[in-house]
Amino acid sequence: MSEILDRALDRISRVRGVRGSMVVAADDGIAVAQLLMEGVNGKAVAALAGSLARKMGGAAAATGAGRVRFLQMDAAEGTLLVAMATRDLLVVALADPTVNVGLCRIEMMRAAEAAPR
Amino acid sequence: MADDIRALSDVLARDPASLVYADLAEALRRRGDLDQALGVAVRGLARHPDHADGLDCAGRIHADRGDLAQARDAWGRALAVAPAHLGALKGMAFALFRAGDPRGAEALLERALAAEPGDEGARRALETVRRAGAAAPSPAEPVPAPAPAPELPPAVPAAALPGAPPADSASERPAVFRGMEGATADILLFDDRGLVVAGGLAGPQGKDVSELAAAALAGVSGEAARTAQYLSLGPWGTIVAEAERANLVLAPVGAGALLLVRRDRSVPVGLTVRVAERAQGAARAWLERQGA
Repeated sequence: MSEILDRALDRISRVRGVRGSMVVAADDGIAVAQLLMEGVNGKAVAALAGSLARKMGGAAAATGAGRVRFLQMDAAEGTLLVAMATRDLLVVALADPTVNVGLCRIEMMRAAEAAPR
Repeated sequence: MADDIRALSDVLARDPASLVYADLAEALRRRGDLDQALGVAVRGLARHPDHADGLDCAGRIHADRGDLAQARDAWGRALAVAPAHLGALKGMAFALFRAGDPRGAEALLERALAAEPGDEGARRALETVRRAGAAAPSPAEPVPAPAPAPELPPAVPAAALPGAPPADSASERPAVFRGMEGATADILLFDDRGLVVAGGLAGPQGKDVSELAAAALAGVSGEAARTAQYLSLGPWGTIVAEAERANLVLAPVGAGALLLVRRDRSVPVGLTVRVAERAQGAARAWLERQGA
């Protein structure tokens, strides 16, 4: 399991502008695997990703939009991307604001599919 | 409300481990189905024993059932997991106040306001318990019966708090997004406490689900801002959620207000973001005209 996740995170982290990638437990925001550049606070990234996924998931369910598959939070100095893997895991990436979101999304969705079920 | 509960039940049926159980339990509680709400919460917490939102919801259900001991236990567990959980802080303050401990309630409400300085409900509650605390006896004196409870949760949805605007239907709200597609069914302006301001969101059966969506997203703005600051990401601009049947775009509109735009999955995400930017401009201009 660890090897599969590590390889998936490695592919995400190779996208230009990605500062780090993680696999996070959806229910408590705790990192299961991570590949981060120095200085990136993994705990804060994981906690925000978990919380955003829960809140947006609740809003999506309430409005009939269905289960959330991918989240993107854009900020002035960076972008947080979250892909829902299994029902329990999130694939998370923190990137520069100029990152190729489309490419990163493809790698993240690939990682989400590869995550253990 | 029935449609919301059906939609949330469907989500939970498809994915029994989903954290949406807390939203479903809350919706049932608000409808008054306390036994059913408690059952959903207990089953959810069996899977997610450290889920602070679920524990907070369980606290409110117990309080509504009149079981303040169980409510305190649930809120205490929520605070052990998430010490700054706003709902649990307000809930525990409510329980302490009801137990005749206004000073304990005051300390918790101060913590709640430190976590969410803009929370109007906590501010009003703090004023109430301070008034009660000033009149409270010293510990050496006999403790009288508990004072009437302040305007506090357990009714956590902000729209249900005393003094909050009434829950209007979308057509009765200000026509901020007139001329835009989905002006009253797919575009919602609300504040960070979960109060609906304008626009509206229709559920799968066409029923207005604005309040439910606004309540689900209460606090997300402050949380995003704090964490973005902590991660040196600067101010956040938009949050885009791609879901099974629709895409959602959440964007801040000035201080304390948020905009949610929903578009069908067939509409490209980039276009939905553009629509949100247009709606954001309209909302900002309208709020300025209101002097907000």
